[in-house]
Amino acid sequence: MKVDIGPVTRLEGHLSIHTTVEDNIITDARSVGEMFRGFEVILKGRDPLDAQQITQRICGVCPYAHAIASSYAQENAYNLKVPANGRIMHNLIQGANHLYDYLLQFYQLSALDFIDVTAILQYTGSEPDLVRLRDWVKAELASGKPFPAAPFLPRLSGKYLEDTDLNIGALKHYMESLEVQKKANKASAIFGGKFPHATTIFPGGCTQDPNIDHISSYQSLIRDVKEFIHQKYIPDILAVAAGFPEYWEIGQSKGGFLSFGLLPFGPESDSARLFAPGALLNGSISPVDFEAIKEDVKYSRYSSPSGLKVREGTLTPDPHKASAYSWVKAPRYKGQMVEVGPSARILVDYMQGNNPTIKKLVDKFAGLAGIGAANLNSVLGRHLCRAISAVVIADFVLAETERIDPSAPSMAVYDLPESGEGFGATEASRGALLHYIKVKDYKIDHYECVVPTTWNCSPKDDQDRPGALESALIGTRVETPEEQIESNRIVHSFDPCLACAVH
Amino acid sequence: MHNLDRRKFLKMAACLSASFGVGNLPEPVMAALKQIDRASLPTLVYLQGQSCTGCSISLLQADAPNAVTMITDYSNLAFHADLSATSGKQSLDLIEEFFSGRAGEYFLAVEGSIPYDMPEACVIGDKTFADHLLSASKTMAGAVAIGTCATHGGIPAAEGNPTGAVSLKEFYKRKGKDPLIVDIPGCSVHPDWVWKTIVHLVRVGLPELVNGQPKLFFDRKIHELCPRYHDFQQEIFAENLGNKGCLFKLGCTGTNTYADCSTRWWNGRQNWCIDANAPCIGCASPLFAAKKNFPFYTLARKTNK
Repeated sequence: MKVDIGPVTRLEGHLSIHTTVEDNIITDARSVGEMFRGFEVILKGRDPLDAQQITQRICGVCPYAHAIASSYAQENAYNLKVPANGRIMHNLIQGANHLYDYLLQFYQLSALDFIDVTAILQYTGSEPDLVRLRDWVKAELASGKPFPAAPFLPRLSGKYLEDTDLNIGALKHYMESLEVQKKANKASAIFGGKFPHATTIFPGGCTQDPNIDHISSYQSLIRDVKEFIHQKYIPDILAVAAGFPEYWEIGQSKGGFLSFGLLPFGPESDSARLFAPGALLNGSISPVDFEAIKEDVKYSRYSSPSGLKVREGTLTPDPHKASAYSWVKAPRYKGQMVEVGPSARILVDYMQGNNPTIKKLVDKFAGLAGIGAANLNSVLGRHLCRAISAVVIADFVLAETERIDPSAPSMAVYDLPESGEGFGATEASRGALLHYIKVKDYKIDHYECVVPTTWNCSPKDDQDRPGALESALIGTRVETPEEQIESNRIVHSFDPCLACAVH
Repeated sequence: MHNLDRRKFLKMAACLSASFGVGNLPEPVMAALKQIDRASLPTLVYLQGQSCTGCSISLLQADAPNAVTMITDYSNLAFHADLSATSGKQSLDLIEEFFSGRAGEYFLAVEGSIPYDMPEACVIGDKTFADHLLSASKTMAGAVAIGTCATHGGIPAAEGNPTGAVSLKEFYKRKGKDPLIVDIPGCSVHPDWVWKTIVHLVRVGLPELVNGQPKLFFDRKIHELCPRYHDFQQEIFAENLGNKGCLFKLGCTGTNTYADCSTRWWNGRQNWCIDANAPCIGCASPLFAAKKNFPFYTLARKTNK
């Protein structure tokens, strides 16, 4: 039977999944991106310095990653030497953004797939917040309203966590996390000006002139976030894992992994990074080569040629193209399908032995959960890898604040060149992000973005091979084919951002 | 133009505050809200068009709304794609219950633009976003356009605009409809502009609108109350990015952008663009990013000659 489980909620943007289910097994899955704006067309002919602002509007959930990737690309195109303070502030802004995003992704976007909201009805304690939540759910259910207790109900049918205390604790943290994510965003706004959509980030640095007031406020906010990560976020993930251990196997993608590396240790464009870049194909790591990326469009709604390299990319929308089923393109690396995102980021670093803390944390949590590194490619693996990323990033940004020199400059002084081109790559919270800019006659002649969810939610390629999410869904057993809570859990573990994927 | 009566606005206010739960309202406002019979409260259905979700994320950054109050005392949010537990066909059925008029009175909140010339460029379930909006226009009590994409087209409608993106008002106008719409621009919107509109509505009544926007927030230019106005008068100008002083020569558009960022600041009054030496790029302006030959910064114009 054919079942369309879209629109899939609790993710960024417009995603449907068209599944074929036989004997409760998904035999085919099509990832369908349903929104298009045309950023590359809008950017062409604009002033190059508009790019790090315009591209942030690709995504309001992870805007800073776009500003950073655009700045890196322009720095390469202009041959800029960036002051240390400028790069440090880039890192502080981007790092804090990752922390907020991980909390949002787990609590607001994923937890309701596992947590039983109705458990609050069993609450017998006296904590005012929980008492009010219980009384509200009771009153809603008795109200006769058409949709009581929205937006928490209705929900898909399926098995939810059964331990009442764990459910109630997670619900409490769901609410607390809404306050904690604000702290991470206040921290990034100290150097970014505001969140979402920072205006201080430029190629060559950051316009903020950092002082001890900024630094101490940032540290204080991030310490609170770090405490929540350690005390609540990680235990909640492990509790969900204990209740749903089968999800260490479910949702495995069937290709390679790609990470562009995250958070450089120094201002130079070739600085080593906290998370190392690399491509993990057939079990072995190789350095990233941007020229090895090609984007197929056989199943994408474009009439422009298929299989183009990034710098050759063109974009001609064709909403009625007969073979197409998605607005997302199908990027492939050395011809292979790859997964990007937290698991790719952690695996690529772990396999290289780059960051000893990552190695230690992977081994520790794998031991706790009784799994191996291969299980990081799974629904729970993606959640765990976000948590590991959060721990490492929180410590790094706190250390990074100590390296700011308030008396030193934060912005390069430069004139824009008449022409140039450059790549800029980083890790958005959702994975590998690449920007490419070509400047001609002082204007943007060509701009391309290859974005994490473009990889993960890609449709089939020209050889009919599925994208990462599609491959993770195919073969999955679903109890209720019409609803497929199992598929929703898999989709959410990738944390799709469709505004990013298509842009 | 609709005549926005106080009763209707009060209802919209109550509905909006109920949906997102403003926990930090002044006591008289709370009291006024509590007097409204919850059972008769209209509901909010929040849909996203060609959006980046930045406005939804910004609404979550409101300073000190108590999360518990948000979810318990005031939650009347029937649907929001980022928060709702429901998904797939179940969620489409829910939306349809409202749009068909069967689920009672509701207001529509819209984030993002509408691809007027290419409706297939935004689809929710089995229908284009445009078709959803047309269904809603027959039953909704009114609509709030949240953010610059919904109020003026924003970045998707910037020059080049391959999908023919338009604002909510423009979409309905072209379809020959004239529903009640309140515009709250900003890329992203400031959460206070949404919440405090409600506070004003409830305490004082109908707010004065300028160009369909609450005058309280969009009456004066950023420049007029800018803390660097003194620098402007003294002709102390930033010459390079990262300099202090008035940012006008770097391209700051605070001189023709109507918004109160200079007194309100962002992220719980933590910071705002100009205090971080970043020129205003006019994100709340109808002309935000509209033209390719009007860059955000004049650094480039200098070198362009």
